[in-house]
Amino acid sequence: MTAITDAATAPQVVAPREGRLRRVVAYVLLTLWALLMFVPFAWTFLTSLKDRPEALDMVLPGSPDLEAYQRAWSSIDPGLPQMFANSLGLAVAVTASNVLLGSLAGYAFARLRFPGREALFIIVLATLMIPDQLRVVPVYQIMNFLNFTGRDPSNYLSVFLVLAISATSIFLLRQYFLTIPVDLEEAARIDGAGYFQTFWQVILPLASPALAAVAILQFQGTWNGLFWPALFFGPVREHWTLPFGISQYQGAFQTDWPPLMAIVVVATLPILLLYIFFQRYFVEGIAASGVKG
Amino acid sequence: MRSPFSGGTDGGTDMRTERRREARVGLAFIAVPMALFLVFQIFAIGYAFYISFFDWGIRGAREFLGFENYAELMSDGVFIGKAIPNTLVYTAVVVPAQMALGLSLAVIVNQKIRGQAFFRTAFYFPAVASSAAVVVLFTFLTQPQGLINTVLGFVGIETARNWTNDPATALPSIMVLVIWTTSGTMMLFYLSALQSISREVYEAAAIDGANWWSAFWKITFPLLKPAHYFVAVISVIGALQMFDQSFIAGGADGAPANSLTTMVLYLFRATGKTFEFGYAAAIGVVLLIFIMTLTLIQRRLFGQAPAM
Repeated sequence: MTAITDAATAPQVVAPREGRLRRVVAYVLLTLWALLMFVPFAWTFLTSLKDRPEALDMVLPGSPDLEAYQRAWSSIDPGLPQMFANSLGLAVAVTASNVLLGSLAGYAFARLRFPGREALFIIVLATLMIPDQLRVVPVYQIMNFLNFTGRDPSNYLSVFLVLAISATSIFLLRQYFLTIPVDLEEAARIDGAGYFQTFWQVILPLASPALAAVAILQFQGTWNGLFWPALFFGPVREHWTLPFGISQYQGAFQTDWPPLMAIVVVATLPILLLYIFFQRYFVEGIAASGVKG
Repeated sequence: MRSPFSGGTDGGTDMRTERRREARVGLAFIAVPMALFLVFQIFAIGYAFYISFFDWGIRGAREFLGFENYAELMSDGVFIGKAIPNTLVYTAVVVPAQMALGLSLAVIVNQKIRGQAFFRTAFYFPAVASSAAVVVLFTFLTQPQGLINTVLGFVGIETARNWTNDPATALPSIMVLVIWTTSGTMMLFYLSALQSISREVYEAAAIDGANWWSAFWKITFPLLKPAHYFVAVISVIGALQMFDQSFIAGGADGAPANSLTTMVLYLFRATGKTFEFGYAAAIGVVLLIFIMTLTLIQRRLFGQAPAM
């Protein structure tokens, strides 16, 4: 897939008059649809500022305050800081691991000749077609065998190891490395740089757009991920991530909506900020991750 | 694909040493990622098939069953009566809807309009938020006295229905939610395909006097065939693996009354809740068969390899 450009590239095939009417209709539809995207999130945010009795009323917060955040912070266990730290730690570790291991493997598959390269790469690609859930039972067994399903911190390793490297990361980076001119590496090699040095000092800096796309994709996916944390962290409360915490507290809070909405806001805000600042990489990542399905 | 160091004019031995060095470095580069891959992907996938033939508990194999897990699945009322139909209905409704909506949005956003970047950003936003956050806010909005029912009241539909907690409307509500969140993703796929269609095609159409509507159906839509195929395949695969929304709205039981139980939710329940690992592995294999069958059918329908 090609990158999406900012400029409107739609060809104009109609007379100006018809074009104007069509544009007005387009603006109305676009604005309505944008509101439909925006209002639910805005309403959630407003609810997080409300007091419990007015949560479901169709009014703005009577006395907007952060009381709901305070309650989500300290009156539940695990509280907001613990879940935030778990989500952040896992997302950072998985992102770093995918960028590092993905670029090593991606570079080897793109540029270095070694026996079995093509076969291994095809195997990596083939796993993209296998649903993750087929691996649930074996992975659970392996983690059990490694003693990573207990209550101690080694439990974190279970989810980390499953997500530490994805075929999407390898594939995305390999494709990018293939577009870098070979001359640059040859020049570095003639200057006496070793293979690793060439990779680290010449190739990686050039691949920063692809590294950023992989990083954003993995961070977002892990931050939002529910399936593996639900499977492995479920019995260990102090390891709950934000998405899993949300799914569990939903029942616990029943009619007490403001603190729950506060957790939702905290779970959404970092991704919203990332998205606003690094939108380009989200778009590139999604085009590439489409391969995974 | 050319290796950077194959064109040397050195003597044969130097070349051979260099080759060996390159191979060693290559293997060193892939060692850790491939080790993880071998254990958690290749071995795990093979092991899943193996486990599915056993009565397998948390401590391992208890008894070899042959195809008994599969036979039991075929007569399991929840699997046959709820998990499979729910998954298929969900797929059949959500996939065409999100494709049509994504294409419409892409076509509109692709016009020469002011604020194109803003609209694109806004439309894709729900897709970057976590499914947990989105489902909970949706549950909140669909409460009996929530925003949705209030808005429905304005247009003359008085109801106090708790949409996601009513067996009749739980799954349809979740479908609406997913169509809402994923339309932005589909829009991005279609947008990049639309922008790769050459201008001349339209100019030729304009000369022929085609109006916009017929130009869209006669030219744009057929030219998007590779994109249709790509989007359809990944949407179907994604829909068949639906789990998050069901789990958050209805828990591991797919409440109310299994109305939200999908194949993957049922697999999750058998693994993490009842620890029937052999049975769960068999569900995974059946899911794989569904995915491969539907992907092959789509390949037949669209007749082409994907555009990637």
